[in-house]
Amino acid sequence: MNVSPLIEDMARKFATKRLLKSELNISDLRLKYLLKHNYLTEIPSIKTTFGFTTCERCFNRKPSQFGKIPRANHTPIIYCKHCIQMGRTSTFEPLYEWTGPPPSRHRAKNPLKWRGTLTPLQQRASDRLIKSIKQNQNLLIDAVCGAGKTEMLYHGIAHALESDKRICIATPRADVVKELAPRLRRDFPTIHQAALYGGTTEQDINSHLVIATTHQLLRYINSFDVVIIDEVDAFPYHHDNMLPKAVNRATKPTSSTIYLTATPRLKQKWLINTHQLPSVSIPARFHGHPLPVPTKQPIFRLTKQLEDDQLPPAITDWIHQKQTDNRRFLLFAPTIDLAEKLSTHLDIPYVHAASPDRLHLIHQFRARNLPSLITTTILERGVTFPSIDVAVIQADHHVFDEAALIQIAGRAGRSAQDPTGDVTFFYDETTLAINRATNYTIRKNLEAKGSHS
Amino acid sequence: MICYLCQNPTTPDTTWTTFLAPTTSPICESCEAQLPTITQPFCQRCMKPLDTPVLCQDCQTWTAHFKEDPLTRNISLYRYTPFTQDIINRFKYRGDYEIINAFQPAIQSAYQTHFQPKPRRTLKLKSHQRQPQSPTIIPIPLHPDRQQDRLFNQAEAIARQINQPINTTILTRHDNTKQSKKSRHERLASHNPFTLNESPPDHILLIDDLYTTGTTLRQAAAFLKQYGAKSVESFTLIRS
Repeated sequence: MNVSPLIEDMARKFATKRLLKSELNISDLRLKYLLKHNYLTEIPSIKTTFGFTTCERCFNRKPSQFGKIPRANHTPIIYCKHCIQMGRTSTFEPLYEWTGPPPSRHRAKNPLKWRGTLTPLQQRASDRLIKSIKQNQNLLIDAVCGAGKTEMLYHGIAHALESDKRICIATPRADVVKELAPRLRRDFPTIHQAALYGGTTEQDINSHLVIATTHQLLRYINSFDVVIIDEVDAFPYHHDNMLPKAVNRATKPTSSTIYLTATPRLKQKWLINTHQLPSVSIPARFHGHPLPVPTKQPIFRLTKQLEDDQLPPAITDWIHQKQTDNRRFLLFAPTIDLAEKLSTHLDIPYVHAASPDRLHLIHQFRARNLPSLITTTILERGVTFPSIDVAVIQADHHVFDEAALIQIAGRAGRSAQDPTGDVTFFYDETTLAINRATNYTIRKNLEAKGSHS
Repeated sequence: MICYLCQNPTTPDTTWTTFLAPTTSPICESCEAQLPTITQPFCQRCMKPLDTPVLCQDCQTWTAHFKEDPLTRNISLYRYTPFTQDIINRFKYRGDYEIINAFQPAIQSAYQTHFQPKPRRTLKLKSHQRQPQSPTIIPIPLHPDRQQDRLFNQAEAIARQINQPINTTILTRHDNTKQSKKSRHERLASHNPFTLNESPPDHILLIDDLYTTGTTLRQAAAFLKQYGAKSVESFTLIRS
C-alpha cells in the first residue's frame, strides 16, 4: 500500500489513541481534510444516555464531577471536571480517533543488551512471564519488595518486542517513570521508547515501548499487546475504578496484562485462589537474604503523648541509638501535622506530597548528605535508599494499612552489601494491619527458605 | 458539599449555630485560609499592596499620562500568589468554569460594599433628590476567536456572579494578541483593542479577572470616557 509520507507521519502520531483537538495540534484546515476523507473520526466526548452523563475519556459518571458553562439562549455546555488535567472534554470538544491506514513499525532484532543474570526465583518468574505473553494470558507476579522486578521483566519485554508486540509499562507514580525510563533506554538501546507522565515533552510516535503513568492510558484505545502494571495495589489503581477500565480499553482484545505487586489486595487474592488469574510468587529478595521482620513496640498512651507534644522515651532512645551507630533512618508519620511537629522537635527535615523542596530533600537523603528524614506515606513505595533503618510512629493509624506497612518495612535492607535493616513499629493499640504485616514477612521468609531447599 | 477549589467534600460541624442558621460556603476552610485577601495599607486607587496608604507609583504615572486618570478606582479581592495563580490557570487556561462559584459570596459582598449605592435614608424623598443609580456592569470582552476556544469569557463569568444585569453589547474586542504574552512595555504601548457599539452609559463598572499593569482596564476606561461616560470604576478578582 502506498501512503503519502504526511499521512504516514500522522498515522504514527495518532493511531490507536483518542485525542482532543488541542492534543492533535494540527491546523483547522488539515483537521477538516482528515475528517472529510475519514482518516480521523469524531467521537463525542460527553455522552448522555437515559439521563446519565458519562465522560467518554475517563468513564466519570458522578454528576458532581461534571460542570456546566452557561451559554446565552442555549443549553449549557457540559464538561468533565474529573479529567480536566489532561485537557477539557466537553460537549463542544470531541475526541478524535485515527481510522486511516495503520502505521508501520520496524521490527526489533535482539533488542536486549543487558547481560546480567537472574536468581533462580527471578528466572522462574521470567519464564512464566514469557509463557503468558506468548499465550496472551494475564499474569500476576507477587514479588516481595526488593525482589528485582525490573530485571525480571527484561526477557519478557525482549520476547514481546521480537514478536512485534507493542508494550506499555504503567506505574502509578511519575517519579517511577522518570527512574525507569533511563534504565530501560540503556538496556534496550535499539528500540523506540516514550516516557509519558504529566508535564512530559516526549511523544509516543508508535513506539515499541511506552512507559507511562497509569492516567496516560486514558488516551489509548486498542493499542497495546502487553500491558505491565506496576504496583496494582497502590493508591490510584486500587482506589479509582476508572483505571482498570482504562487499561482494559488501552489493550487489544487479545493481549496480556501483567500485574506486579508485593501486597495483593483481597480482590486479587480472590482471583488467584479461584484460579481466575494465574500467578507466580517470588518470596525472596534478589540478594537472597530474608526480609527484615518488623519489631513491634507498643507504647502506652502514645497518641495522647504525641497530642501533648511529648515524645515517648522509647522513640527518642531508638533515634539516639541510630545516631550513635551512625545509621541513616526514615521516620514515617501518619499525618503532615505530626510530621511537622516531629520535625521541629527532633530537628530533622520532613517531606510530604506538597512540600516544595521534596525532590531536593529526597535526593539529598539518597546521596547520603542527610542522616535522617521524616516523611508521610509518600515514600512508602517505589523508592530505594541503600542501607537504611525504618520506624513508623503511630503504626496503628488508619493510613497505615497492611499494604502500607509491608511496603514501609520493605524499604529497609535493600542493598546486597547491607542486607539487614531494622524496622520498628511504634503504636498504641495493636491493629490487624500491624499483625498481618509482621506475619507477612515471617511467612514470606519461610516460603523463601522452602523454595531454596 | 464539595469544595470548588480542592474538590474535597466539606462537612460542616454540627453545632447549634449551624443547625439553627445553616450557612453554606462553596469552599472549605483550608482553602479559605489560603486565599490572600488584600488588606490595608494599599494604593487608594488600584489596591496594590503598599507600605503606606497613598497613591502608588503606577497610578501616579497613569495620572500624568492621561492628565486625569480615566479609572476612578479599582477594587480587587485577592493578591497574586502561587495559590491564586494556580486557581486562575485552572479557571482560564484549563477551562474549569465552575471554579468561579467558589468566589460568589466574596464577589457579591464586595459589590455590595463598594459599588452598590446606599439608599438615602430620608423620611421624604424630594423630587430633586434622585436615588443614586447603580453602575452598568461591563465585563472586559474577549476576542470571539479566543472565546470559541475557551467556550466562555472569564470576565463575564465573574460578572455573572454578582447577580445583577450585565451588559456585553456595548464593548467588543478586535485585537487578538494575549495580554499575558506581552511584556510590560508592550502592554503600555499597545493600541486600544476595543470597539464601541453603542453610546456608553454614565456610570460604568468594568470587570476583569486580573489587574496586572492596569493597561487593559485603563484603555477601556479612557475609551468609554472619550465617548461620554462620566465615571468608570473597575473590579478584578486578583491584583498582582
